[in-house]
Amino acid sequence: MTGLRARYLWPGGLVLVCLGLLGLAAGQLVALERQIRVSATENMIWIFGQTQAEALNLALALSGDADPQAIQTRFDLLLSRLTLLEQGPQRRFLEAAGLSEPLSGLRADLLRVDPLAGTPPEVLQAHVTSLIATLRGNASLVMAHDWQTQAARLDRLGHLHRLALAAVIGAAIAGLTLSAILIDREKRLMRARLDRLRSDQLASDLTREREQSENHRQFADLLAHQLRTPLAVIDSAMHRLTRGGKPAPPDLVAEKAAVTREAVARLVHLTDTALLMSRLDSDAITPRLRDHDLCELADAVIADVRRAPPRDSDPSRIVLSQALTPAIARCDPTLTAEILTNLLRNALLYTPPASPIEVELQQTISHVTCRIADHGPGMTPGCLARAFDRFARGEGHGNVPGSGLGLTLARHLARLQGGDVTLAPRAGGGLLATISLPAGNEP
Amino acid sequence: MRHTVLRLIMILAIWAAPARAQEVLLTLTGAVTDGRVDITRADLAALPQHGYATSTSVSDGRPRFDGVLMRDLLALAGAKGESVRARALNDYVFDIPISDFHRYDVLAALTMNGAPLTARDKGPVWIVYPRDDHPELADIRYDMRWVWQLVALHVE
Repeated sequence: MTGLRARYLWPGGLVLVCLGLLGLAAGQLVALERQIRVSATENMIWIFGQTQAEALNLALALSGDADPQAIQTRFDLLLSRLTLLEQGPQRRFLEAAGLSEPLSGLRADLLRVDPLAGTPPEVLQAHVTSLIATLRGNASLVMAHDWQTQAARLDRLGHLHRLALAAVIGAAIAGLTLSAILIDREKRLMRARLDRLRSDQLASDLTREREQSENHRQFADLLAHQLRTPLAVIDSAMHRLTRGGKPAPPDLVAEKAAVTREAVARLVHLTDTALLMSRLDSDAITPRLRDHDLCELADAVIADVRRAPPRDSDPSRIVLSQALTPAIARCDPTLTAEILTNLLRNALLYTPPASPIEVELQQTISHVTCRIADHGPGMTPGCLARAFDRFARGEGHGNVPGSGLGLTLARHLARLQGGDVTLAPRAGGGLLATISLPAGNEP
Repeated sequence: MRHTVLRLIMILAIWAAPARAQEVLLTLTGAVTDGRVDITRADLAALPQHGYATSTSVSDGRPRFDGVLMRDLLALAGAKGESVRARALNDYVFDIPISDFHRYDVLAALTMNGAPLTARDKGPVWIVYPRDDHPELADIRYDMRWVWQLVALHVE
């Protein structure tokens, strides 16, 4: 900051100094101009020339046969010129030129030979002749002083012009320097802004990268955990069938085969979910939206779930209310079936064995909704808030198999089709899951 | 003898007073009544008298000038024109636009500080501009119009 201030200081100071010089020059120029204007009216060379001319005129009149009246007029005129020379500005000029002494008293001397007082013409003539000589002897000095004064003024004028020019150039240089500094500063600011933007970008990239890596780690943990149980089940079944060296009885084989198949189905479901999630993450899924009867679709999904229910559950608890049919929604049937399967299996897994699960379709102007209501324990508000987060598992369900991705996936898939999945507590206990999808065009 | 001289002086004085009054101070020619008008001291005395103090370019201080207004003088002679060519005793001539006399109170001054102007100074008539009342008059272009020892005006 100090460096910056110092950088502004010297060009700013230079500007001030130059402006001061410029003001000084302007002031002096005005004063000089006034002086020149005043001195122009002095016109000393002309006045002195006129005096000489009148002296010569009088001498001429005296040498000829001029009448006394004409001589008197000439005398008066010469006297008036000498009077003029003795008056204020003219007297000061002659003093400055060092001529006041040789020229002083000329008027008084001339008055002493006034023809009105009866001075003989020859005396007057002699006096005028000597006066002419005096004037002639000093005329060049008057002119010299006049020009000296003029030249000195011109010198000063030139000096002032140069001063003003230097001040202008100095101010221009300082101004340019200041603008260069400002431009440089602006550039630095711009560069700093760009750097900050870039670092923000990098920081957000890093955060996303970290989230992804955390997701992957959690996913890997989950897979390891969730794969372990079915694999252990299969391993144990195989071990039981091959134990003792003799063929196992057919009923045991059938039982263990069922257990194994169920475990494999869970593995397949897990890998399917993981695959779908990964495709969703990389935006590889494009829904094929058509008008479909959601009632029909729900019916088919319920039938599927009934055919392959999660372990230890009774799929007959699922009741579809046929009040609204058809309920046309614009959706991708495969993705919608995935969502419905997910929600129904959740309802089967997390509710008491005998409680009913009611599926009901509703239609609004813009959407078709499918509500799945259970009579289970429901969810705490905290759980409800995190239910759609990745890898979130309901409290106290550690022993229930699940990826923690089901609801995340369901909501993703619904939103992909312009709809949504929401969870809410059911009035009277239990949970209410709602899928909403855009209504179709067909009536 | 002394009585004779005294009487002579008295006669001269009695004779000189009207003679001085009838002395022609200015001659106007050109576009004036009958092409030529001679203005006597008496004619000037009959006009309204004006005066003011002003600085000049050839002297120090602010002497007081009295006389008649140039426009009154020209009106007296029935002058009709754009400018006058003023001529001085020493044949100095200068053209002055008549509009000056209407715009400013330009004097045909006969006295300075109460003393009559004579040919030995700037008289008998000095054209005087009110230099201090109008800043633009303090300029060489107007100072040159202060014709002194004025004897003739030619109206054009």
